[in-house]
Parts: sequence; structure tokens; C-alpha cells
Amino acid sequence: MSSTFARAVAAGAAKRVPIKPIVSANPDQAKRRVLTLYKQWYRAVPLIIRTYQLPYAVETVQEKIKEQFMKNSHVRDVRAIDILIIKGEMDLQETLLNWKQDCHVRDYFENPTKVQEPTDFLGKFLTQKH
Amino acid sequence: NRVEVFVNDQSVWVEPGSTVLQACEIAGIQIPRFCYHDRLSVAGNCRMCLVEIEKSPKPQASCAMPVMKGMRIKPDSDVSKKAREGVMEFLLANHPLDCPICDQGGECDLQDQSMMFGSDRSRFLESKRAVEDKNIGPLIKTIMTRCIQCTRCVRFADEIAGVSDLGTTGRGNDMQIGTYVEKMFTSELSGNVIDICPVGALTAKPSAFTARPWETRKTESVDVMDALGSNIVVSTRTGDVLRILPRLNEEINEEWISDKTRFSYDGLKRQRLTQPMIRNEQGGLSTCPWVDALPMVADKLMATAPEKISALVGGFTDAETLVCLKDLLNRFDSEGLCTEELFVADGSGTDLRSNYLLNSSISGVEEADLVLLIGTNPRYEAPMFNARIRKAWIHNELEVAVVGSKVDLTYSYDHLGDSPQTLKQLADGSHPFSAKLKAAKKPIVVVGSEMFTREDGGAIHAAVSTIAQKARLTSTSNRGGEDDWKVLNVLHKVASQVAALDLGYKAGPDHIRNNPPSLLFLLGADEGVVSRENLPKDCFVVYIGTHGDVSAPFADVILPSAAYTEKTATYVNTEGRAQQSQSAVSPPGSAREDWKIIRALSEVAGASLPYDDIDAVRSRMGEMAPNLTRYNHVEGANYFKQAQELAQLAKPKLLDAPLKSSQLTLADFYMTDTITRASKTMAKCVKAATEG
Repeated sequence: MSSTFARAVAAGAAKRVPIKPIVSANPDQAKRRVLTLYKQWYRAVPLIIRTYQLPYAVETVQEKIKEQFMKNSHVRDVRAIDILIIKGEMDLQETLLNWKQDCHVRDYFENPTKVQEPTDFLGKFLTQKH
Repeated sequence: NRVEVFVNDQSVWVEPGSTVLQACEIAGIQIPRFCYHDRLSVAGNCRMCLVEIEKSPKPQASCAMPVMKGMRIKPDSDVSKKAREGVMEFLLANHPLDCPICDQGGECDLQDQSMMFGSDRSRFLESKRAVEDKNIGPLIKTIMTRCIQCTRCVRFADEIAGVSDLGTTGRGNDMQIGTYVEKMFTSELSGNVIDICPVGALTAKPSAFTARPWETRKTESVDVMDALGSNIVVSTRTGDVLRILPRLNEEINEEWISDKTRFSYDGLKRQRLTQPMIRNEQGGLSTCPWVDALPMVADKLMATAPEKISALVGGFTDAETLVCLKDLLNRFDSEGLCTEELFVADGSGTDLRSNYLLNSSISGVEEADLVLLIGTNPRYEAPMFNARIRKAWIHNELEVAVVGSKVDLTYSYDHLGDSPQTLKQLADGSHPFSAKLKAAKKPIVVVGSEMFTREDGGAIHAAVSTIAQKARLTSTSNRGGEDDWKVLNVLHKVASQVAALDLGYKAGPDHIRNNPPSLLFLLGADEGVVSRENLPKDCFVVYIGTHGDVSAPFADVILPSAAYTEKTATYVNTEGRAQQSQSAVSPPGSAREDWKIIRALSEVAGASLPYDDIDAVRSRMGEMAPNLTRYNHVEGANYFKQAQELAQLAKPKLLDAPLKSSQLTLADFYMTDTITRASKTMAKCVKAATEG
């Protein structure tokens, strides 16, 4: 069997290391950065509609942005929030610099090719393994 | 009453008589060792545990050196380090440098310790010693050149397995470990020598050259090959079970497992049912999707009269499934729920839990001073329980007596014959052995569940409970007025039985025999107690199980389910301890977890069971029998006196046929259920054990 000795040595090496922040030092800072990002998206709405020729009103797009932010409203871990902010910033840049195709933006509103996954027990039993 | 010793100048208080190695362990310092093992006798021949002790001229072998008052031990001194390096150099002088092709690589004590304590260069130029490999059966692969003669395997075979098959021949450079003549290492616990071997001399033959330990995922689970629920670790890689190892549980299996537990996993890959099947017009079985199979069963379920619906559950069924099945049949007003294993129905039958549990628990044997085994061969029915009895027999001078087949149990015992009349004499106190039972302070009576499959099972139960009750009244713990020593023990053979009885299943297929069903559910019931011949012609048989074994061929619908390594499920062992198995791999093909099949069936049949996930099933389980969700806890039972009185009411009569166990030799041990019957390794073992 594996050496009990080596295991004991390895266990001694694991010490508690303080968690290093990614960007925000505390929840307040993280919250402010989320709001900043939200405002940036909000202001960019007319431009996004023009660039991607979206057939939606400004309010609809604003509503969609709010929805996307609220999806992560349960996240409390500052480091996780930081990662989400970074991803949001990247997404915004991709959108504004026209690195996206129309379909990428429209995916947020409707996706005709997406298969509806069953949510009830029997549906899941018949289609999925787990 | 303790002795003070100093380890690296740090004061430690230890029990007198403990060894220097143990003292260092208490001080938090692990001494490297090869031959020393907690559960084996001390050999002191590897010399790896040498440490410097002040005022002693040479370094001492710490595993064999008892502590003395005021001893100053220096495990980290230069002398100790140099001694280890020297020993390591000697060990490696004759050890092959074949780590890259050695199966032990990555979990090898020699490898680890040479990295930690060995020298960084070799001074060895001579040629190495080589030893011929030995064939000791289909389970253990030997590469004897790698052996460092620690003799752990020899001591394990002698002390724990109780077979003196292994030994050493020759001296010095010519010393070899082996079986003297070429033969199989005939023990049901043989696989454990693979675990205790500190090098790659003994490795597992079935899993040779398959994986490195760091590539595998380990899932902590529970075994179902016998009713003890040994704790295991399932090693998997890419959805494939590669090997099964023991997991420490002092209460059940300590750190050993039986060969059936360890090596039958290849049976999980053969003969598996992977697709639902229905009987077609030509009378054959053809595969179909779940959408077709479920409505067929559901239609039958809705159309059949309640008293014509029955279910028979086999030995591997988990508690969750038992709960779902019971709820489903109850919804259709049926109470035809039976287990395949028989039990007594006379007297209080399965109403009182104490009637069907191993009441004094597995580890309780170590406290006992007298064990009476009735109609059981624990060596093959529950190898780990037998190892416990042997342990107590060695260390506590336990006395053992047997009523039943005369078999080799690896310890000596009084054979009281195999006649049922002996039980009668023991019960009324006229047998010479009764005096011993009366004098015993902590007696235990263990009866094999197989005895209850006899026609006079009720009578045997009545006699046994009288013997146990009498012995209980005279045991010391009761003489002092305390009422806690339990004497009556039932040793079950299958993993599902206790949970099924806890949930109120009827033991045995009598109900099905007396009320011929029109719709019969078989949940992995493959022991052949029902067959097409003894069922009505129009009976619709639904088989839910893992293997195409005995029952699947005559079923009308086959619904493939998950085996014990593929689901998170609850099993209750023979002492009444609920434990959880964890899913290590996913079920093959479109097989589903058993409880889900029944839940889906209930929805199609228009009587949805009110639970969608495993947690909800568990809380339902807790409502029905709270002990099933108290994991790792032995729920004790009581009312022995009342059970014994009720058992007498039936006025049963003992037959004359001798009390026999069905598993008498090692060859009978390997193949006993669907999984082991599908296992190639087990088939090889049977062949090797029969041909010798």
C-alpha cells in the first residue's frame, strides 16, 4: 500500500495561506465596480442597437442587461465577483468593437436552435442519464 | 501508571511495555519501517526502524525495543539517519531497478522511503540476486526478485488468515518467501497480502499493468458481496472500475477485505443489461427505448387486480429502491412484497428486530468468551466476521463451539454434531455443553440465516432463541442487574436483507407461492426461487436488475438498473448499521438507478410517487424506518425475552435432517451471486481451488 509515512509528511506541508484578492479588496469595492460596469453597459445600449441592427427597443435591451446582471446576484465571494466583472468587461469590449456577429448578440434574446431540456422527472429520466 | 520517555528531548508519557516506535508515534514522529505492521506480530527483521537511543552502544530496532523509564530516543540524530541510509543501501543492493514497469510504483513504501532516507548515489557494482517467481493462484502475482523479506505476508497468512501456506526457506542471501511446493495460496483473505506488501513483490494479478495510482479516482464506498458491508475504496479511471481496496473501519472490516469483495468487480462489466427489453411476437427479447418499455409495465400495473401484483427483491437491492417499490405497490393496494432470502415467519417472525440482527455487533465478538456457531460457516459466508472470531480466539482465549457441518474455520472448536436434536438438548440444558454456556460470562450464539430456509426453520429459531435467552440470563452482565449483553445473533448472507425486513418486506417467496401473481416484479432476484415453471402461465414478469443471469431470460420486460458501484445508495448490514455506497462510475448503456426506474414507472402508471430526487427519497425512508438514514450508526434491538416466548407459541417440531451449510470449501466461496457468476476472475478462482 502507499506509504503512510509519505502521507504524514505531505499533511504537515499543507498550511493555511491568506487568500489574495484579485482586484477588489472588500465587498464594498466589488459592489462599486459592478455598478460601474452596469452603467457602462447601460450607456452603450443605443450604440449596440445601431451596430447590430437589433429589432428591439432601448428599454428591452436595458431590461435584458439587467436580467444578465441579476443572474449572478447570489454571488457573495469577492473573488468570484471580480472574475465575473472581468468577464463582463471583456464581453462589453467585444460587443462595442464589433468583434461579435449579429447572432451572438441576438442569442441573448431568442435562440431558435436551442433545444428545450426537460425539467420534470419523467422527461429527464427518458432523455438524460443523470 | 505511565512511563516518561524523551523523544528528541521532548517528554512523552507512554504505556509501559509499548515500543520505542509507538512512543515516537505518540510524539508525532513517524519512524520509517517495512516489516512492522500494527496488526501483525513484531518481526524486527528489516532494520529500517533503527534509531539512536542514548547510552546504547548501537542503534536499536525501534519496533521491537520496549520503552524504559527515562529513555532518551533520538530519531532525528545523525546516527539514526546514517543507520537508515545504510539499511536502505543494503535493501536496494538486491532490489531490481524496475520501478517503471512495477505495479507498485507510486504506492511503494520502498520507493517512497528511498527517496526520503536513501543515499543519492549507488556504490554497488556487483550483479544482483534474482529469485524465481512463484505461481500462488489466479489472484496474486509474484515477482519474488522484488521481495525484501519483510515477512509481512507470512505473518498475515499465519495470524490473520489462519492458513500456514506461506513461509520462508533458506537463509541469508538465499532466503525466499513462498509456499514450499507450488500450490495456490488457499485463503479467502489472500488479496490482503497485496496491500501489506511494502514493495511490488505481491501485486494483483487481475489488475496487473492497468493503471498508476495517481491516474485513478478513488470513491469511498461500501461492499455488498456479503451482509457485513465492508468499507471499500473503488478506484476508477474513465468510467471503468480498475480495482477495489479496503477502507479502514474498526467496527466492521478493520483494514482487510475478502477476495470476493476485492476481485469480483470484473463481473460488473460482463453480462450487463444495458437496454430495456420487451418480449416480441416471436417470443424473443428485443431491445427498445425506455418510452416503449415503461408504458407496457404501467398498463399491466393499472389493469391487474391488487392481490395479483407481487414483487420479489434480491440480495443487492438498496434501501432507497425498497422504499420506492413498497410505496408503488402500496399505491396499487398490493402488499405482495417479498425478499428472496427466507426467514422465519413463526412466532414474532420479523416483527421484532432482535430476531434478525447480529445483535452483539461484529466487533462485539472481541469481548465475548464463548461463541456458539449454529448452522453457519462464517469463514465463507462472512469472511471478515470469521477473521474477528479468529482474532478473539488468539488474543482473548475465546472458546468456540459449532453445531452444523464440520468445516475448517481456521481456529479450533468443539464440534457438537450436526443434528437438530443437539439444539433441543442445548435448549433444555441436557447437553454436556450447556454447563459451559451457563458458566460463560459473555456468550454469543450465532445462527446462520441459511438455517431458516429449512422447513423446520421456525423450530430452529425457537430452539436457538431459547439457548440464547438462557445464556443471556446467566451471563455476567445480567448477573449484576444490567441488561445489555446480547447473545442472539443472526448472520445474514445478502446485503439487502436487513433493510428489507426493517421496511416490512415479507421474508421468502411464500406469499408468491400461495397467491399466484399476474404481475411479478423481480428486483435482481436471481437465486432461482421463482421460475417460469412455478408461475402461472399468464404471469407478466418484469425484471429490474443489472445482469442477464437466471431470471432475466424468462421476463417479459427487462429494465436495466445500476450496480452497487454505480449508485449512491443505502445498505444496512447484518448488525443493523446503515451505510452509504457512492457512485464511482455511471451505469452502462441506458441503465438507470433503480429507484428512478420505479419512480418513473409510478408516473407513467398515473400514481406519481411524491419524490423527485434522492434527498426526498431519503426523507421518505426516514419516515418509514428512521434507522435507515442514521448512517454509520448501529441501531440496536431489544425484546429478546418476548421474542423467545413468542417463538415457542408456534409449537414447532425439529426435523431429523442434519444442519448443513451450503458453502463448505473454498471453491464454494467464490461464485454465489449475479456479479460473481459473471466474473472471470471468480471463475478462475473456483477452477484453481477445485484443482488445487
